[in-house]
Amino acid sequence: MNIDQLQDTINACRFCFMCRHLSPVGNVTFREADTPRGRALLAGKLQQDIKSFNPDYVETFYRAELSAACRCHCVSHYDEAGLILAARRDLVDAGLTPEPVKKLAAELQQVDFKVEGSGEVLYYVDLYSTKARAPKGCKTISGGDAGKALEVLGFVREADAVFTKFQAAVKDSGCKTVVTSDPAEYDFLKARLPSVKVLHSSEFLEGKKGTGTVYYLDSDYLKNYQKKMTAPQDLLKRLGYTLKPFGTNTEESYTAGEGAVIYDRLYPELTAKMCERIAGLADDPAADVLVTSSPYTKFVLSKYTPQLKVLLLDEIATEGI
Amino acid sequence: MSLDQKNYMVSMLHSELADAVGRDYVSCDAADRLAHSIDYYWIPEMWHDRGRENPQPEFIVHPGSTAEVAKVMKIANQYKIPVTPWGGGSGSQGGALPIYGGIVLDTKRMNKIHTIDTEALTVTVETGINTQQLEWAVEKHGLSTMHFPASIACATLGGFLAHRGTGVLSTKYGKIEDMVMSLEVVTPTGEIINTLPVPRHASGPDLTMLYLGSEGTLGVITKVTLKIHPIPQSRKFHAFLFPTMHEAMTAGANIMRSRLRPCAVRLYDEAETAKLIKRVLGIDKKGAYLVFGFDGFEKIVDLQMAQAGAICRRQQHEDLGPDMGRNWWDNRYKFFYPPYMFSLPQAFGTLDTVATFTNIENVYWAMKNTVRDHFPEATFIGHFSHWYEWGCMLYARFIVENPPVDPEEATLYYNRVWDLAIRAAIKEGGVINEHHGVGLKLGRLMKELYGPAYEVLSGIKKTLDPNNIMNPGKMGFAGK
Repeated sequence: MNIDQLQDTINACRFCFMCRHLSPVGNVTFREADTPRGRALLAGKLQQDIKSFNPDYVETFYRAELSAACRCHCVSHYDEAGLILAARRDLVDAGLTPEPVKKLAAELQQVDFKVEGSGEVLYYVDLYSTKARAPKGCKTISGGDAGKALEVLGFVREADAVFTKFQAAVKDSGCKTVVTSDPAEYDFLKARLPSVKVLHSSEFLEGKKGTGTVYYLDSDYLKNYQKKMTAPQDLLKRLGYTLKPFGTNTEESYTAGEGAVIYDRLYPELTAKMCERIAGLADDPAADVLVTSSPYTKFVLSKYTPQLKVLLLDEIATEGI
Repeated sequence: MSLDQKNYMVSMLHSELADAVGRDYVSCDAADRLAHSIDYYWIPEMWHDRGRENPQPEFIVHPGSTAEVAKVMKIANQYKIPVTPWGGGSGSQGGALPIYGGIVLDTKRMNKIHTIDTEALTVTVETGINTQQLEWAVEKHGLSTMHFPASIACATLGGFLAHRGTGVLSTKYGKIEDMVMSLEVVTPTGEIINTLPVPRHASGPDLTMLYLGSEGTLGVITKVTLKIHPIPQSRKFHAFLFPTMHEAMTAGANIMRSRLRPCAVRLYDEAETAKLIKRVLGIDKKGAYLVFGFDGFEKIVDLQMAQAGAICRRQQHEDLGPDMGRNWWDNRYKFFYPPYMFSLPQAFGTLDTVATFTNIENVYWAMKNTVRDHFPEATFIGHFSHWYEWGCMLYARFIVENPPVDPEEATLYYNRVWDLAIRAAIKEGGVINEHHGVGLKLGRLMKELYGPAYEVLSGIKKTLDPNNIMNPGKMGFAGK
């Protein structure tokens, strides 16, 4: 089984409570199962008997938001996010995937990548971005998720097949640089496109000078998966903005499920609750300007907590506040 | 009561509980029932590890307010269903385990901070809040709870109140019971009561203290007003190594007898210095490691540090300096993360107790000799981590590398270590616990500890909880 590769994590996390305060989904469902400890207990059960694995257990693995805040917090960095991904792969292999996940996976395989425009740089229009957001002078590639979403759902073979199509389209474009605004896709493409320069938009955008105070909501992928990448904060400071810390601490995830890439598609109610928790932590929800580098986070916060003023990093860089 | 999940009464109760707290907040979900069947107590961990199922609740409810807790209690009373309060589930004594099934009342949804009073320096907060989240929120106002237990991120505030928890700065700021101003409690019969608004008065006995440490057997503490503090200008530490634990204890006790007020003193015996101080802090020396710290205005801190240092230098010592003291503070929680913490298949437990300076070393040796004589296969280590004007707390631990494999046999073996070691401590003037509580683990020893006074406790329990629905079978009280 895939989870056998993470035996040390199962053993370490199943009776450990030390990071439970950083579980975004656990902090809104209040369920013990929705904590790294709870999921590690279930992973142990999965190893014991996958055939009679309870559907509630399966659901718990899919309800995880994969922020990886727990891994960063842990002094030994046990990979609980990796354990969930491995468990999902095992569940897919065993045919135990819940119907809504199967449906979504089937939909995500319907890709048709198209390259348009002209330029030396290829801008990837991910599921939560628009062509209009593409930096000037870039070609665009659109037509679906590049495989990251399928990968996090546990459909690795299907993810590979989709990515092969994406890769072919990138090759055909002739571009040697790919830019994406989505930290999840950045994380995925950077590992998978070694012969191409992959940049997050914060590393690419020149930006327009501005003034004012903003709260930056850090990305799970840039902070927890890319080892505290600070290009977005650096860009904001370079443009002239004053950054204020959001919430009460820097360890928690304030992304409403960015780690799970398409979380709102499976769990809109929980996404809404996570957005409300974020809104509740704002100093002045009506006046604060929140900036995110994740198109997903911008999308869900705008949808579920419209009272908040949320700007995508690319927006503030090109248009100001 | 332990209902068969196929019994239609389960559906009836589910509907009634959903009516009380909302549909999203009642669960019979198998994943949640499993997660609530195991806390931080070694026995359920060991049973789970060996494929044996632990007792599970029928329902997990997450009330969002005191009024909802009261509704749940009334339903439970009506049908005489056991209610086990559950905060973070990180207690080590089995206090939150639903051993008779029924309802687990998970308090985590009750996590709102009502007021931060910057005049009185108090915070009024619901008890389901995670204590790290509380500390972060209070710090945002430039203040602090000064409650820094190793389980700060694991546990809810209610958990600490329920079993009289403590943090690493307790020597100055007190245990949780010293931090409380007043409580709101839902009684077992579903009444909502408040204790007096201030902790010092001559207006009768102290109801606040009755509920603190009652471990969910007398009611559910739903709201608390706590003292909070300014964040000090300076906090400094200094470490010494002494050739023996006795030398170190003399130095530590002398600091306390001088009436200096350190924020922390911690003394590790020779065995723990060799095992954990080496592993976690990288100090590879023979002897007993002692660290102390002071906080407050820097000039005053410096004076206090100098005085405490001079007291330590009266004993035979090696001065490890401030960096080795700061190193301890910076890594104070690291001891409790895997792989630094003990883990299965090892059997392990914290035999914590407290006694006066007159008795504490006798308690230590009585426990250590008992464990050595009866369980030669066990390692015994200890540190003294919470200090008072009159004595200190012993955080002794035993570790057995290869306990019996059979779960029943392992349970009996494990219980025997506790029975013998704790009785040895009581005989020398110790008590059965200092800050982890009693729970399921130590309930059977309560009568021995209290003697005839235990009848007073049982009488209170019977009066307040006539149907015995509140966390039955814990603290030595009757089971179902």
